Amino acid sequence: MPPRNPAVVAGKAIAVGVILLWSLFPIGFMLMSSLKPGQEIFAVPPRLVFEPTLQHYGALWEKWAVFFRGLGNSFIVTLGATLLTVIASTMAGFVYSRERGRALEASALFLIVVRLLPPIVLTLPLFTIANMLAINDTHLVLILLYATFFVSLGTLLMRTFIDYIPRELDEAAMVDGASRLTILWRVIRPLSKQGMLALAVFVIVYAWNEFLFAFVFTSTRAKTAPLVISEMLGSFDGVDWGVLFAASSVQLLPILIFVIFMQKHLVAGLTGGAIKG
Amino acid sequence: MPAAVRGAGARLSRLGATLPFLAPAQLLVLTVIVLPALHIIWLSLSTSTFGKAPVFVGLANYIHVFGDTYFWRALANTIIIVLVVVHVELLLGLGMALLFASGLPARRLLLAAVLAPYAVSEVSAAVIWRFLFDPDAGPVTMALHALGLPGFEWSVDPAHGLAIVALLSIWLHLPFTFLIIYAARLAVPEELYEAARIDGASKLQSFRRVTLPLLMPAILLAALFRYIFVFRLFSEVWLMTQGGPARSTDVVAVYLYLEAFRFNAFGTAAATGWIMVMISMILGAGYLWGLRREMRAHAA
Repeated sequence: MPPRNPAVVAGKAIAVGVILLWSLFPIGFMLMSSLKPGQEIFAVPPRLVFEPTLQHYGALWEKWAVFFRGLGNSFIVTLGATLLTVIASTMAGFVYSRERGRALEASALFLIVVRLLPPIVLTLPLFTIANMLAINDTHLVLILLYATFFVSLGTLLMRTFIDYIPRELDEAAMVDGASRLTILWRVIRPLSKQGMLALAVFVIVYAWNEFLFAFVFTSTRAKTAPLVISEMLGSFDGVDWGVLFAASSVQLLPILIFVIFMQKHLVAGLTGGAIKG
Repeated sequence: MPAAVRGAGARLSRLGATLPFLAPAQLLVLTVIVLPALHIIWLSLSTSTFGKAPVFVGLANYIHVFGDTYFWRALANTIIIVLVVVHVELLLGLGMALLFASGLPARRLLLAAVLAPYAVSEVSAAVIWRFLFDPDAGPVTMALHALGLPGFEWSVDPAHGLAIVALLSIWLHLPFTFLIIYAARLAVPEELYEAARIDGASKLQSFRRVTLPLLMPAILLAALFRYIFVFRLFSEVWLMTQGGPARSTDVVAVYLYLEAFRFNAFGTAAATGWIMVMISMILGAGYLWGLRREMRAHAA
């Protein structure tokens, strides 16, 4: 081991401090401001010590029922999109992991190529089509969109995870006369839980926070929480920052706690298991 | 030849057995992405507004877009943001990966802190940014003034507007870029550094000769990913500046959105869409080429 150079240690400490400030200050500032009474939000310099109050949360509850309906919509859409993505990706990933062939290789590449299409480009025809099918402003349209835009990555991810499951297990089951569906359910599903969890974390974070599709495809009935917050931000009679910070905090906290809790799976999914988070 | 026929038959039945497993994923992609994308080609060759039957006009929409100074402004802004955001992210991500790999206490906790912005929605981030950088009363503006520095006049100055959008985008996506590079750094065997040390290499030399070449594939992958995704940037701009003032901070995705949903010009919006697709494909070609090679290796 090289001797510990105090200058190096100090340099590292400063770097870590800057990184922490950069990552956490905006989040901490928002959470803290949501608890500050009345005009103290605007105090210069911002006060670190204050008497916390839930008045902004109370105002949010009273004046913005639509926000809480938005949270409900976000929850439904996130749940639906996650289930659909995980099921479709596991099924396809299973085949791509176990079967070989030029047609299969081409179809896997196809799944990736189409992902190069920017989502905003597809809003044009999809808006018209969704109108014709009368599914605009429904949970279903967002569930289908979110699942579609994650199914390519999901399939690749599940293939990678299923590749780690020994083929001998499938073959033994096949000898016993099990069908592919039985093998997927009895052998692959229990052993690929890690992959499914990692994929679920990605989809949940994406669907809970997504803005563009919600903005274009929902207006009243299926409006998600981020969309409601964006409307509060753009309100004409002045922005009520206290209430806005409260709403943003309510939208952020569950997903932030979830991400911290699921950090291990998130990191494993992003890095193919190279880092133990 | 019966053997060949039997082979083809087996392959066909195998295809029949695997098709139902691929169907959900492929059908989603086909109906939500591929067919609408083809529809856009037709839209881009016709004039159409919402609720009216399209009329074929050839390449007129493309000519209109290429003759529109707003489009060129949006494209220039997009290119600037892509170049700044991606390269700053790569530099910071690389620096952080090296710092983390050099051994830090409470590494797990620090990792959680660094990943936190990943959980923040674009909308919440814009809320925080709009307040912190408010040109009149924002705490960051005040702090800059207190230090005798000018604040960001992002609601009037387009350069500042783009800078604020870039900063927001970097903040949101740095965790992703960092993790990809960090994973690659951890995959470098420690023995290589031992060997370099024994050979008398300095820290800088072992970084240039060992670390950097081995991290290059991951850095390039992260760069390509981010090029493609920053190129379609919409929410950050829309939520911060709405392309204003006077459309000076438009990016291509905002230009497309305004054409389609504000000016009801689906034809020019569709043409813009196909121009975006083409540029994305060019950006993605390198990525796909690498992926194809990897798939060949996987299939072999």
